[in-house]
Amino acid sequence: MLLRRLITVSALIVFIVSTSYTITVLNVLGELPPRGLRPLALWFLNTSITPWLSYFSSMAPETVTAIIWDYRGLDTLFETAVFYFAIIASIALFRGIEEKHGGGYVGLSKIVRVVSKILLPINIVVAASIAIHGTITPGGGFQAGSAMAVSPLILIIVFSRFFLKEKGLSKNLLIALRGAGLVGIGVASILALALGLLYGGYAFIFQNQPKETAPIGLPPDVLGFPTAGTLFIFNMCEFIAVFAGFTIIFILLSIPEDVAREALHGEH
Amino acid sequence: MLEASFTLFLMMLLSIISTIAVYLAVTERNLLRAVLFSALQSMCYAFLYYILMAPDIVLVYIPVSIGLYPAAILFLIRKTKECE
Amino acid sequence: MVSINLYMFTFSIIVISLIVNLAISLYGVLLKPNIVKKIISLTILGDSANTFAILVGYRATYPVSPPVQVNVPPSPSDVYQLTGLSVDPLPQALVLTAIVIGLAVNVFLIFLAIQTYRLYGTLNMREIAGVKGGQHE
Repeated sequence: MLLRRLITVSALIVFIVSTSYTITVLNVLGELPPRGLRPLALWFLNTSITPWLSYFSSMAPETVTAIIWDYRGLDTLFETAVFYFAIIASIALFRGIEEKHGGGYVGLSKIVRVVSKILLPINIVVAASIAIHGTITPGGGFQAGSAMAVSPLILIIVFSRFFLKEKGLSKNLLIALRGAGLVGIGVASILALALGLLYGGYAFIFQNQPKETAPIGLPPDVLGFPTAGTLFIFNMCEFIAVFAGFTIIFILLSIPEDVAREALHGEH
Repeated sequence: MLEASFTLFLMMLLSIISTIAVYLAVTERNLLRAVLFSALQSMCYAFLYYILMAPDIVLVYIPVSIGLYPAAILFLIRKTKECE
Repeated sequence: MVSINLYMFTFSIIVISLIVNLAISLYGVLLKPNIVKKIISLTILGDSANTFAILVGYRATYPVSPPVQVNVPPSPSDVYQLTGLSVDPLPQALVLTAIVIGLAVNVFLIFLAIQTYRLYGTLNMREIAGVKGGQHE
């Protein structure tokens, strides 16, 4: 055992020393931190919102949201698909486990319940604000979805795990909401293509603003609010989809263990 | 220049605290305390992201890594106690 | 000259502490037999790698600004000022994707750990794999 521990520690030390030496002294990643911008970053910042270069710009003041949904939109589509498949796999692992309403779970004390009643609507409003203003301030669909996903968790712990079902948010409704969000993302990605085919031109998939060879695009602002075409639709659909996904996970995790074992032994 | 060096010093302090928290999280036998040390490391990282001027990442990282991961792992710890 | 050296030294300390985080969490993933400890170390590993990517995208000007255009609609001098002060926006977008994918994989691992406990009755990897002489650590 002593030899094994010695080999482990020496391997870790070799890893730490060699990596730090090559990064800080030999500058393999370039001079850290740099004083100038890399050329690709210069391109993204120069075309993020520039109305005079309208064939290259994405008309969104927030550069990171524009990169996620416009310049590299296909990456985000497949990332959302990976998250969707993880939730589908988790639901499939826990299939057939239902809990009939019953049990005398009272919840936590009155002080905690009153404080939750005050704080949870604030959480929901802030999350919706992050999603709607995703193109002008830091934020967007995924940020808002995960911020709002804290509310069902607190509701399950403070009130009871049947509280969500009583109020109408059952598991099947949440699965349907998640699918609806993904369908919205899929439709918004071919929206410009459909408009192009209707009016006789052609367009690209994930097209946001008019390009030089495909002059069909969505409007860059709505009543003075810069929504940057398809980016607003993407943010709202991703918000609904992520919130529904996280709520399904917490509903599944809060089912107690003896109910689950009963269902599994009944299956054998 | 003094303010720039102050933010850099704060970044260095946060990195060292996060290293101590990671070491304690990995070598702790009680799993509840390990989860709490991991949440402490996530707090240091969230503050570090704010100083590194990445506000989108802060908005994702705080709910996910301080709220949702410890909650899910606490559910996991509670479900896998030996109580047949 | 002295202040630039102090700047570089402090930045090197931050890089070295992140690499130490990577090494310790890698040790935790590979060599600790409990599944819950492995999952905790895997989340720390992913977060440390993401922090490293954002650290590479920082910029050494003063004052720095995040990559957000404040004046809407902008004039050419606004755009020029933003490119003079802003940090690199591309690592932040890639790290956002990486956080979501890591979250999906870790959530699925937690569900798999619960199912493993139901089938095998233990969460010690050495007992599950059937290695002789596996002890509780």
